[in-house]
Amino acid sequence: MAKQNPPLIETVDLCKSYFNDGMETPVLFDIDLTIREGEFISIMGPSGSGKSTLMHILGFLDTPTSGSYLFRGQKTRVLHDDELARIRATRVSFVFQAFNLLPRTTVLDNVILPLLYHPTIPASERTERGMKAIEQVGLTERATYFTNQLSGGQQQRTAIARSLVTEPDVIFADEPTGNLDSASGIQVMEVLQNLHSKQGRTIVLVTHEKTTAEYAERVIHILDGRIATDTRDFKRNHAKNVKHLK
Amino acid sequence: MFITDTFATARRAIGVNRKRSMLTMLGVIIGVSSVVLMTAVGASMEVLILSQISSIGAQSMVVFPGQKEGVESTLAAGFDSLTFDDVEALERLTTITSVAPAIFVDIPTAVYGREKTQPRVIATTPPYFQNREMPVAVGRVLEERDIMRARHVVVLGSDIADDLFGLEDPVGKQVRLGDLQYTVVGVLEPVGTQFFQNADEFVFIPLTTGRAVTGQKHVNVITLQAVGDFDLAQADVESLLRQRHGIVNPEGDTDEDDFIVRTSQQANDILGAVSLGLTLFITTIAGISLVVGGIGIMNIMLVAVTERTREIGLRKAVGARGRDILLQFLFEAILLTLFAGIAGVVFGVGLAGLAALIVDKYLESYDFALSVPAIGLALAMAILTGLVFGIYPARQASKLSPMNALRYE
Ligand SMILES: Nc1ncnc2c1ncn2[C@@H]1O[C@H](COP(=O)(O)OP(=O)(O)OP(=O)(O)O)[C@@H](O)[C@H]1O
Ligand SMILES: [Mg+2]
Repeated sequence: MAKQNPPLIETVDLCKSYFNDGMETPVLFDIDLTIREGEFISIMGPSGSGKSTLMHILGFLDTPTSGSYLFRGQKTRVLHDDELARIRATRVSFVFQAFNLLPRTTVLDNVILPLLYHPTIPASERTERGMKAIEQVGLTERATYFTNQLSGGQQQRTAIARSLVTEPDVIFADEPTGNLDSASGIQVMEVLQNLHSKQGRTIVLVTHEKTTAEYAERVIHILDGRIATDTRDFKRNHAKNVKHLK
Repeated sequence: MFITDTFATARRAIGVNRKRSMLTMLGVIIGVSSVVLMTAVGASMEVLILSQISSIGAQSMVVFPGQKEGVESTLAAGFDSLTFDDVEALERLTTITSVAPAIFVDIPTAVYGREKTQPRVIATTPPYFQNREMPVAVGRVLEERDIMRARHVVVLGSDIADDLFGLEDPVGKQVRLGDLQYTVVGVLEPVGTQFFQNADEFVFIPLTTGRAVTGQKHVNVITLQAVGDFDLAQADVESLLRQRHGIVNPEGDTDEDDFIVRTSQQANDILGAVSLGLTLFITTIAGISLVVGGIGIMNIMLVAVTERTREIGLRKAVGARGRDILLQFLFEAILLTLFAGIAGVVFGVGLAGLAALIVDKYLESYDFALSVPAIGLALAMAILTGLVFGIYPARQASKLSPMNALRYE
């Protein structure tokens, strides 16, 4: 079903190197990847394989060294800083492993932070939209709490609410459960699962854990900066494999 | 992002980072309040000096013996270049009137009953009181007949009268000056300090009496007034004295003279020089305070950027443009410096008032005064430093890429 949707993200021969003191560290090599609207994708791979690097580029937090990245059919290389900021404000959002919430600030104020920079949503709608996003992650009673008064799982759900509030085309979540115990992790994943299945949101998830990856329909394995496998209908295949082993 | 959002964000950032904000403000408060305090002290000093110097009437001249205008020569007794013959010659000048010679009589104590005080005794003639603008409070000042008969009468300055008589009426009472008894004929109104000498500690006896007591043949000071054109009168006085003292001085170089003529014009010049000096001094202090305060602001703002780089990264990650970040920091800087500037003014004015209260105990005519333009300038400069030192860190912050900022440690 997702296959018929137009491509949201397309990369061709995308490469990324970091440069420190003139030293080049190549990290990503010739990434060809297409993500369509409504997909739920997990990216897996060993530590240091380049998963976060790829996510940052796809989420407009960083730029590729070479190759092309098309977002909604548009070449991103030609975009100016302000146009990139506008995409970050309206079309994509990020959930970080380390939450990255503002300290000494309430849940609600954290959640509506992206709306401050949204070009079209009027100020009068901020609280309402913020509360709606908070409700979706089940934190309504905690809306006026300061973020340091929350558990890790609640903090991550606050971060997810923040990523929902602008109703973006795609949510990138880089190991959102990495800092959480398994119960909180499951809660967070169920929130993401609901966003996908009930609202049809596009979600790209990085994870180390197979159980977490299983929430997605498509799993991409990255090894040493290259896509090693790209499996659709992961759950079904996985289930088959498990049966087969039995 | 609307400008009101940026403003609200900046305001919230100040509140959220209260400790850091307080430190920043402290720098500005110290800077601004020291400017306000220093300029207020300067303004008070100016008022004080003005009141001292302007107590020479516009038509008055004071002639001293002595070489250059300078601290060591102005009131130096024992310099004997001016004689009573000079005084008589001056009296004959048509451009001059109201000539009053005076000598300083060295009598250390004045005694009335059991009361004792230290006066400065001046022997002079009646016009002195007009020339020096010293009105009488009770009784009378010296008169011609006192001079003619070399009477033992005395006119008291108000402080001396207070010291010796308290609430008693001094007129007609006997005061002992040195070894001799004098009858008090009058008491002067308080006149305060003139040229930083307390004129209310003077007592006046007839010139002739003073000469008889001391045997002095030279004059310590001559006060006189110009008739008509002042410059002409001054030129007459100077050329007459040069001629009489055998000084060849066609250029009118006052360094060559053995006398000094002080005029209200000179007093104004001195006042101008003094207040210019004070203004420069105060401006320098003000500048230094502001720069120090400004560097404080800059440092804190730079620290704020380091500290908040992750926050900036986050804001950029959720869609903030470089401009939004820049404006936020700018507003923050302006708001902080504006608050702190106002607090600094309040604090500085308070300090200046306190200083005036304390100094007034020692320097009688010291009054509380403020330099309003300096306060305005200090405020404007505080906001300006906030702007200038806010822009640099804000620019640094706004240039970071979201990921670099987020990774910052
Ligand atoms: N700023 C940087 N400068 C230089 N090298 C970097 C930088 N950031 C990442 N790298 C390198 O790039 C490689 C990929 O890093 P990345 O964070 O993408 O890995 P990852 O797959 O997300 O790993 P993990 O599962 O541990 O999060 C690593 O070898 C890392 O050392
Ligand atoms: Mg990673």
